[in-house]
Amino acid sequence: MDPYLIQQIVNGLSVGMVYALIAIGFTLIFGVLNVVNFAHGEMYTIGAFAGLMLITYFGSPLFAVLLFALAAGCVAGICLERVAFKPFRRFRDEASLKSRAMREATLLSSLAVSIIIKEVLQITYGSEMQSIPQKYLLNDPIPIGPVSFSSGQFVILGASIIMLVFLQYVLYRTKIGLSIRAISNNPLGAQYVGLNVDKTIIATFALGSMLGGASGMLVGLYYGAIFPSMGFAPSVKAFVAMVMGGLASIPGAVVCAIAIGVAESIATDFVAAGWSDMIAYSFLVITLIFFPQGIFGQGRERV
Amino acid sequence: MERVETLTTPRKKAKRAIVIPAALLALIFVIIPATLASLGSGYLFQLASLSLIFIILATSMNLITGTTGLLCLGHAAFYGVGAYTAALLSTKFGLSFLLTLPLSGIVAGICGMLVALPTMRLVSIYFAVATLGVGEIIYVTLLNWVSLTRGPMGVSGIPPISFFGWEITGQLGSYYVVAAVMCLSVFYIYRLTHSYYGNAMRSLREDDQCAAAMGIDVAPLKIQVFSISTFFAGVAGALIAHTSGYISPDYFKFSESILILAMVVVGGLGSVPGGIIGALLLILLPEVTRDLGDFRNVAVGMVMFLSILLLPKGLLGEVSALDIARKQLGAAWDGAGAKVGWK
Repeated sequence: MDPYLIQQIVNGLSVGMVYALIAIGFTLIFGVLNVVNFAHGEMYTIGAFAGLMLITYFGSPLFAVLLFALAAGCVAGICLERVAFKPFRRFRDEASLKSRAMREATLLSSLAVSIIIKEVLQITYGSEMQSIPQKYLLNDPIPIGPVSFSSGQFVILGASIIMLVFLQYVLYRTKIGLSIRAISNNPLGAQYVGLNVDKTIIATFALGSMLGGASGMLVGLYYGAIFPSMGFAPSVKAFVAMVMGGLASIPGAVVCAIAIGVAESIATDFVAAGWSDMIAYSFLVITLIFFPQGIFGQGRERV
Repeated sequence: MERVETLTTPRKKAKRAIVIPAALLALIFVIIPATLASLGSGYLFQLASLSLIFIILATSMNLITGTTGLLCLGHAAFYGVGAYTAALLSTKFGLSFLLTLPLSGIVAGICGMLVALPTMRLVSIYFAVATLGVGEIIYVTLLNWVSLTRGPMGVSGIPPISFFGWEITGQLGSYYVVAAVMCLSVFYIYRLTHSYYGNAMRSLREDDQCAAAMGIDVAPLKIQVFSISTFFAGVAGALIAHTSGYISPDYFKFSESILILAMVVVGGLGSVPGGIIGALLLILLPEVTRDLGDFRNVAVGMVMFLSILLLPKGLLGEVSALDIARKQLGAAWDGAGAKVGWK
C-alpha cells in the first residue's frame, strides 16, 4: 500500500475521533432533551482556550492541560444548560412535557448563546490565531518505516479511545448513566419512576461538553490553531455525523464521524484542501436524501 | 351600536388601507432621502440601502420560515448566489442592471428549486440540517472555485446600477432604485401571504399531513414557496452587488443566515411587518449604539436571546417562535416520544 495513503488514513482516523467526541456530545443531549444544541461548537472552543490559558500562565504538563480542558468544558456545559435551556423548561406539568413547546425553543436560544460566546471570545482575544508555545505543539514526527506520523495523531487517538471507554463506563455502569439512558428512552416514564430529570440533564450537558472541550484542546494543539470561531467547522461535521448515525445512536455517530474524517483526509489527495470541506456536506445531503433516518437510526414514521 | 359599526368599519378599513401604505411610501421615498441628503453623509445612504436589502432578505426568509414553517438555515447562500450571478454577469459579459436583477433572482430561484426537489420530503430538523448543508456547500463553492469567483479575494469593480446605458452613480439614485425594488418585493410577499395561497402555506405550518388530507399538494407547494423565497434572496444579492461594487464570500457565510434568522425571530415569525422591523432593528441598532464597537454582534446575540426568552412571539409575531421550533424538532422526536404519557 502506498505509504502516503496509510499516513492519510491514520490522520483521518484521528480527525474522525475528534468529530466523534463532538458528535457524542450532540447525541447525548439530543437523546435526553431532544434538542439540537447549537452552542456545542463553542464548548470545543472554550476547552481549547482554557487549555491555552493554563499553558501560557502556568506552563503545566499536557496531562494537566487536558484535565483542565475537561473541567472547563464541564463547567461551560453546566452554565450553558442553566442559561439557554433551563429557562424554557418552566413547566413540569404533563401537558407542557407532552407538547414540548417550551423545550424546543432552545434551538434558537442555544444559537443565540453560541453567537454571544463566540463574539465575547473574539473581543477578548481577537479573531486571529493564538500563539502556542512550540513545545506544546503535538507535531513531533514519528517515523515508522517509510511513513512518518506525528505525535498528535497518536495522542488524539489514544485520548479519544480512553474517553470513549470512560463514556461507556459512565453510561452503562453508573447510576447517572442509567438515568441518562432512561430519560432518553422515555422521558415521562423516567419521571414517573422518580428520576431527577433536572439533575440528569445537567449531568448530560456536563458529560457531553467535557468531551467537546477536551477534543477542542487536543485539536488546537495538534494543528497549532486556536481561534474564536474554530468550533464551527468541526461541530457542523460532528452534527453531520450525528444525523448520519441516526440522531440518537452513539455507536452510529462514532462510526459515521470516523468515516467522515477518513474520507476527508483521503480526499485531500485528489482535490484542493478547501474543497475537502465539501465531503462532509455532500455526505449529509446524500444521507438525508437516501437514508433520511440515518444509517444506524431506528425506524421512524416520518423524517 | 353593533350595526353602525359594521357599516362604518369597511369604509374605515378601506381608508386605512390607503393611508398607511401612502404614509410608508412617503416615508421611504420622500422623508428618509430628504433627511439623508440634508445630512449629506454617504455612509448613511449606504446604511439605508443595506437596511432595505436586509428587509428583502428578512421578509423572503419569513415566507419560508415564518409562514410556511420550514426552518431554513442557508438563506445567505442563496443571497450569495444572486450576488455572484449579478457580479459575474455584469463584469464578464457587461450585462446591464435591468437584466442582471431578474437573472440573479431567477438563478437563485432555480438553485432553490433544485435544492428543494430532494429535500422537501424532509420535515422537522432534517430540513433545517439539509439547508444548512446546502448553504455550506454553496459557500465552499464560492470560496474555492477561484477561476470563476476569484475565491476569497471576491469580485470587485461591479458596475453601478444603470438603465439603458444611463448610469445611476449618485447615492440618492441608487437608494431610490433599491427602495423601489424593496417596495415591490415586500408588496408581492405581503400579497402572497395574505391570499388563499398564503393560507395554504399556513396550513402547512400548522400540520402538513392534515393539509395533505385536505387536498393541498404539499410537496409542490413547498417547492414553489422555497423557490419564491430564494428568488427574492437572489434579487437582494443583485442589489448588494451593484450598490456596493464589491462582494466576497464572507458576506454569505452561515453567520449571515443566522443574522437573517435572528431578524425574523425578533420581528415575529410569519408577519411581514415583523420581518421589516426585525431587519431594521438588527441593522440599525448596532449602528446607533456605535460606542459598543466590537460588541455589535454580541448585541445581535443578546437581542435574539432575550426576544426568545421574553417575547416568544417576537415584536409583531403571528405565531410563537416556540411553536415553529416545536414543529421543527417535535416531529423528529415523535418516533421515540409519541407514545409517552396518556394519549
